[in-house]
Formats: sequence, C-alpha cells, structure tokens
Amino acid sequence: MPLVYDELRRVAARYIGRERPGQTLQATALVNEAFVRLVNEKARGFQNRAHFVAIAALSMRQILVQRARARHAAKRGGAAQRITLDDAVLSDAKGGIGRPGEIDVVVLDDALTRLAALDPTQARIVELRYFGGLTIEETAEALHSSPATVKREWAMARAWLKRELE
Amino acid sequence: MNRADWERLKPLFHGALEQPPPQRPDWLRAQCEDEAVRREVLALLHSHETAGDFLEAPATFDPADAAAQDVWQIGAYAIRGELGRGGMGVVYLAEDIRLGRTVALKALPATFANDPQRRERLRREARAAAALTHPGIAIVYALEEIDGELYIASEHVRGRTLRAELAEGPLGAARAHATAIEIVRALCAAHEAGIVHRDLKPENILRTDEGGIKILDFGIAQFTDHTLTQLTAAGAVMGTPAYMAPEQLVGPDVDFRADLYAVGVLIVEMATGRHPFATGDGPRAPMPEALRAIADRCLARDPRDRYPSTRELLAALEAAYRAAPASTDERTAASVEPAQPAARFTPLWWWEFHQAVAALIYWLMAIPAWSARGLIGGATGRTVFFVTLAAIIVSANLRLHLWFTSRFYPGELRWVRRRTARWVTVADWVFCLALVAAGLLVGDTGGELATVLISVGVGTAVVFLVVEPVTERAAFRDGR
Repeated sequence: MPLVYDELRRVAARYIGRERPGQTLQATALVNEAFVRLVNEKARGFQNRAHFVAIAALSMRQILVQRARARHAAKRGGAAQRITLDDAVLSDAKGGIGRPGEIDVVVLDDALTRLAALDPTQARIVELRYFGGLTIEETAEALHSSPATVKREWAMARAWLKRELE
Repeated sequence: MNRADWERLKPLFHGALEQPPPQRPDWLRAQCEDEAVRREVLALLHSHETAGDFLEAPATFDPADAAAQDVWQIGAYAIRGELGRGGMGVVYLAEDIRLGRTVALKALPATFANDPQRRERLRREARAAAALTHPGIAIVYALEEIDGELYIASEHVRGRTLRAELAEGPLGAARAHATAIEIVRALCAAHEAGIVHRDLKPENILRTDEGGIKILDFGIAQFTDHTLTQLTAAGAVMGTPAYMAPEQLVGPDVDFRADLYAVGVLIVEMATGRHPFATGDGPRAPMPEALRAIADRCLARDPRDRYPSTRELLAALEAAYRAAPASTDERTAASVEPAQPAARFTPLWWWEFHQAVAALIYWLMAIPAWSARGLIGGATGRTVFFVTLAAIIVSANLRLHLWFTSRFYPGELRWVRRRTARWVTVADWVFCLALVAAGLLVGDTGGELATVLISVGVGTAVVFLVVEPVTERAAFRDGR
C-alpha cells in the first residue's frame, strides 16, 4: 500500500512543470503508469491488474484530497490580501472552488466517507470508478462481482452523492 | 438516515429503476406504505434521472497546481521537475537543499530494496564511478538511500541526447567521426581507471549546450536502465540489446571491450543514421572506408578481435581523422589536433617507459653479477649470484608484465598492479642489497667491477625510493 502510494506520487511529480498550466490529467493515466512501473517487480503480491488498481484508487483518493486541501488552505491564506473582483474571477477560472460542473474533491471525500458508513460496497465502487478510472467491467472484476450488480449499485451511489453535493 | 433505513431504501430504488420512468411512482406506492421512505426513494430517482455525466469521468489532476508542487520532496532533494525518461528510467531535476546544488536525481528500481547483493555491487560501482573526473563524463555525486529506496545524484548536464540528435538524421561522416573521438577519449579515461560503462548508447550520451560530449551513468547504467529495458521489451520495443556486445548477452562479467563494441554501433549509427544491423532498406548515408574499417573491428564478435585497448582505438580514430580529406567545414571545428601531442607523452606513458627501462637494466646487471661470482668464489659467490638472479627474474618479469597489461589490457591494470606491488618491492630490495653485497665482497680484487655493482645497487634503490613513486602518482593520480 505505501509502495503504490509513493509510486503514484512519483508518477504525478513527473508531470510537474511539464504540462502547460490548466492542462489536467485523468487519474486513470496516473494509475496506469504506476501500474506499468510496478508490474515487473515481482514479489509485490498483486494478484492481477484489478487488485492493483483497487489499491491504487484508494491512494489516488488520498493524493487528490490532500492536494485539494492544500489548495483550499492556500486560498484561505491569500484571502487577507486585497482582492479585486477580477482576481477572484481569474483565480476561480484557474480551477478554484465552486467552478460550475467542477467537483470539489474535499466535499466528495466527506460524502464518500458518509456513504461508506451506509453502504461500504457502493463507496468502494465510487472509489474505483472515479479515483481509479475503472470501467464497470473492471470494477466488477476487482470486487469479484458481476457487471450488472456493479451497474445498479453505481447508479444508486451516484444518485445519493449527487443529492449530498447539491 | 441509518443503515436500517438504507437497507429498506435499496431494494425499492433498484426495483423502481426496472420500471419505465412514468410508472415508477405508482409502482412505489404499491410496494411501500411508508410515506417518508417513498419520498426518499423518489428524490433519489429524481437525482438519478438528472445526474447526467456526474462522476462519470474519472478524477483529474492538475500538474501545474502550485500548491501541490511544494509538497514534493525526496529526502534532502526538492524536486523541480522531470528531466525526461531518456528512453527509460525516471530522472528528476532536483535541488540538493543542503548544498543548494542542482542535480539529476535518478530513482532506481525498487527491486534493489530486496536484493542486498545487487545493492552492494551498485554501491561499489557508484564509488568507483564517483572517482572519475573527466570533462567527457558526468560526475556522480552521491548514492542516496531515502525511505528504503535508492537514488543516484549526479551532475546535471544541460544538453540533449545523441538519440534526440540522431532522430533528425545522420550526423554526417566528419561530425560522426569527431564525435566518436570525443566519446572514446572519455572512455579512455574511464577504462584506464578500470571502469566499464556496460550500457553505452545514444540515450546515455549528451551533447552539451557548449557543444561537448558527456557520457552519463558510468558503471551504474546497468543498474538503472537494464531492469527498465526489460519492461519496454515486454512492450515489444527494441531495447538496449541493440548496443550490447555478444558476450554481454551471455553473462554480466564483461570488460572494457564490451564498450568498444557499443562504440562500433554508435559510429555506424552516427555516420549512416541507421543501426548497423537494422533490417529493411531504409536510406543509409555513405560511410568512408577508413571509418567503416574501425567500426567493423569494434563490432567483432570475439572480443579478442577488437582493439586490444581503448587508447589504440582512439589512436586509430585520430589517425583516420587526420588522413581523411579535409573537405568539410565541420572538420576544422573539431578539436582533434591540440590533444595529439598530449596523448603521446602522458604520465601513463612515462610510467610504462619506466617499467620497460627498469626491466632492461635489471637483466643487464646479470652480467656483472656473473663476473662477481667468479671473483668471490666458493659457496658465497654462488649464493650471492643466485640471489641476485632470482631478484632480477622476479622484478624484471613483473615489470614487463605491468608494461604489457598497461599497453594491451588497461582495464585490468589496476587489479594487476595491486597484485604485484608487494612482490616488486621485495624483489627490488633484494636486488639492491645483493648487488651492494657482491660489490663489497669483490672488494679490491674486482676494482671497477666493485664500483659498478655498488653504484648500480645504490642507484637503483634511490630510483625506486624517489623516482618511481612520483611517476606512479602522476600516472594514477585519480586513485586508479
């Protein structure tokens, strides 16, 4: 687990300073890359790719939430400075809090923790789908379940989370 | 809501979803009498119908996020970015916070954490590589162990790899030739220090922004890239084997001649733009006969058929370079001439000269020693003579052996020197003392012979006490 986590952070760091600002990467890309790097290292104890991604998705969630928290903190710290309307608009456009259609990872993380208390399987499915970038089929494989079941649970979790985040 | 509520809700939600949307409220009323639960399910259904692509796209990650960048640090190194994968392997651009120095930080495969033997070998190689100081070789600063993982910090060189340069086509014969000379010059320094690169390829060679050549990862490339090469090989991409000498495919214990093979591949690739064994009929730039002959000898299957020393390869390259028609402008730009006189009378050359001359003088001294035997006479005369002769045989032969190794197997010189040093010293002392003793025993009867024996004995002692350490230090000042 710490190994996968470190690997993901390392993979993430690799992109720092290379991409143009504002260009984002899907978590899937990072998870895949970490997988490729670790897959040849035997004795890691991963049964298969699904098993790996299940662990990676959890790490990814931690990383993204950590980053989002850091960003929020930076914003709060900066609030004491003189802010013009333009600045506020600009900083929001750069991927701040409350951009329409944008999911606040910190809020999602809290909601997901509440969901886990009600239905651990559904929370896990969201983690794999959203933070791990897994398809319905891959999620089913990782959870030793059927795609039909995963699809139904996913629909309910999504509906519940949507209400929570509104 | 608690878990019990949730368990009641769940089958209702799933069941309702199986109904066509307009019939869902009626279906629910039939299934459940609890008004509150029904409202909850309806709200969820509404949320489901309006969810759109909510959460459908996986989470994203903004690499340019400044807040997240500050977090990234490995041990005492602040990561500033990535220098590239240089074919394979991760190399970060990092700042050593303790020294404020910018370094290239290479992460080693995690397999090292589990294999103490490979770790130890890496440590040894890194230590040897760290002793190398040559303008054509990137300096290794440190081997770091951070949180159980290994990293190598080395000089950060601004420039681009030969691979990138080759991607734009062949360099042309003259530039390829000049570049090969620079590469081999750096190799010479390493090989004479007993360090073999083992993974020389265009990805490991940089043309600096100043136009010079820098070889990266001396002695350690095998640890950083090899494992990752296999990873690419799994993806069916041609990896380093393209630059590996045939004997390297059999076993890891290879000498400097494996590097010579890689040089052969490099020469052809730089000159023609194509790997010497590339299949297909791609365009291949022409290559001058002299350069082709050098490359062919480097590419010999049997290491013994390649150049016996890197210095000889360098000499051949330089001779061919001077002999080639000086037509192109690039030729004048290359810095081949100034290094020429220096290349001949290096401290190492003088050290070799010293060994050869000493061996010759020792053997010549057998003649006066024989004459002395007759003059001293009896058992004493015979003993003194045979002791002298034994010392001559040991010391002179060992010195000739050192000379030969230095000329033809420079890669093994360090090892041979270490092994023979004590014997040479003992033989030298015995030789000097025996000569002086013979001179004293001959005494007045011998006249000039006594003088010759004593003065050569004392003279030799002075030479190996005073002169030899100086040549030795000069020739091997890098602690080879």
